[in-house]
Amino acid sequence: MAGVTGPRFAALTLPHLSALYRLALRMTGDPSAAEDLVQETYVRALRSFAKLREPARAKAWLFQILSHLVIDRHRSSPREVPLPEDDELERFSLYERIADEDPFPYSDDVHGDFLAEFHDEDVRRALLAIPEIYRVPLVLVYVEEMSYRELAEMLGCPLGTVMSRLFRGRKALERELWDCARRRGLVKEWPR
Amino acid sequence: MSRMSCDEAVRQFFTYLDQAMSATALQEFEQHLEECLDCCDKLEFSRRVDALVRTRVGDAPLPEGVEDRIRQRLASAATDPEE
Repeated sequence: MAGVTGPRFAALTLPHLSALYRLALRMTGDPSAAEDLVQETYVRALRSFAKLREPARAKAWLFQILSHLVIDRHRSSPREVPLPEDDELERFSLYERIADEDPFPYSDDVHGDFLAEFHDEDVRRALLAIPEIYRVPLVLVYVEEMSYRELAEMLGCPLGTVMSRLFRGRKALERELWDCARRRGLVKEWPR
Repeated sequence: MSRMSCDEAVRQFFTYLDQAMSATALQEFEQHLEECLDCCDKLEFSRRVDALVRTRVGDAPLPEGVEDRIRQRLASAATDPEE
C-alpha cells in the first residue's frame, strides 16, 4: 500500500476485520474459504477506495462488497441441489410438518422437543444449504442484526425484495431442518 | 373482527419478529393474533426457530495470522495492479 492510501485505508477498514471474517465464515462454512473471501473483499475495497464517500460507512461498504462477491460466485456456479418451486417452498410449514408427524407422541411440547434435537453443526449446515441469494440477507439479520432498510441499501434492492428474500430464506431453512431431521431418523414421512 | 387472513398473517411473521413492520400493519397483525390462537402458536414456533439459529450460529473468533496475511496481500495488491 504505497502512498497516502495505505495507512488511511488500513485505519478505516481493518477494525472491521473480525466482523467481516465472522460473516464470511457463516456464508461459506469453511475457515479457509472464509479467509479467501475476506482477502478478496479487502483487495476489491482497496481498488475502489476512492468511491467510499463517507468514512463512517466503511463497515457497511465492506459488508456490501463481501455480500456481492458471495452472490456473484453463486451466479457463476450452478447449485448442486435445486430448491423446490416457489409456491411449494412458500407453503412449507415446519410447524405443521411436526404436528402431522408427531415425532414425540408423549411430549407436552412436541415442537420444542423437536428443535432441542438439533446440534450447532446441524443448524450451521442447514444455513449453508440454502441458496446464497437468501442466505446473504438471512446471515446479515441473524449475525449482524441488520435492519431491512440497511439490507435494502446494501443489496441494492427494494424493501419488498428484502422481505421476500427473508421470508423464502426462512422457509428454505425450515425445510433444511426438516430434511436434517429425516436424515437423522428423528421423523419419518408416513404416506398420507 | 380481524380483516387479515391466516395466510396473510403467516407471511408477516418474520417482518414482525425482525421488528420491521409499519405501524398500520402492526396494528392489523396484532388484532389478528388476538383472535387467532393457531397463528399465535405458529408465531411462537417461528420465534423459537429464530432463537435456535441465532444462538447456534454463534460467534467466530478471528484465527491467528489472518490479519497479517491480509496486510501482506494488500501490500502486494497495492504495488502490483495485476494481482
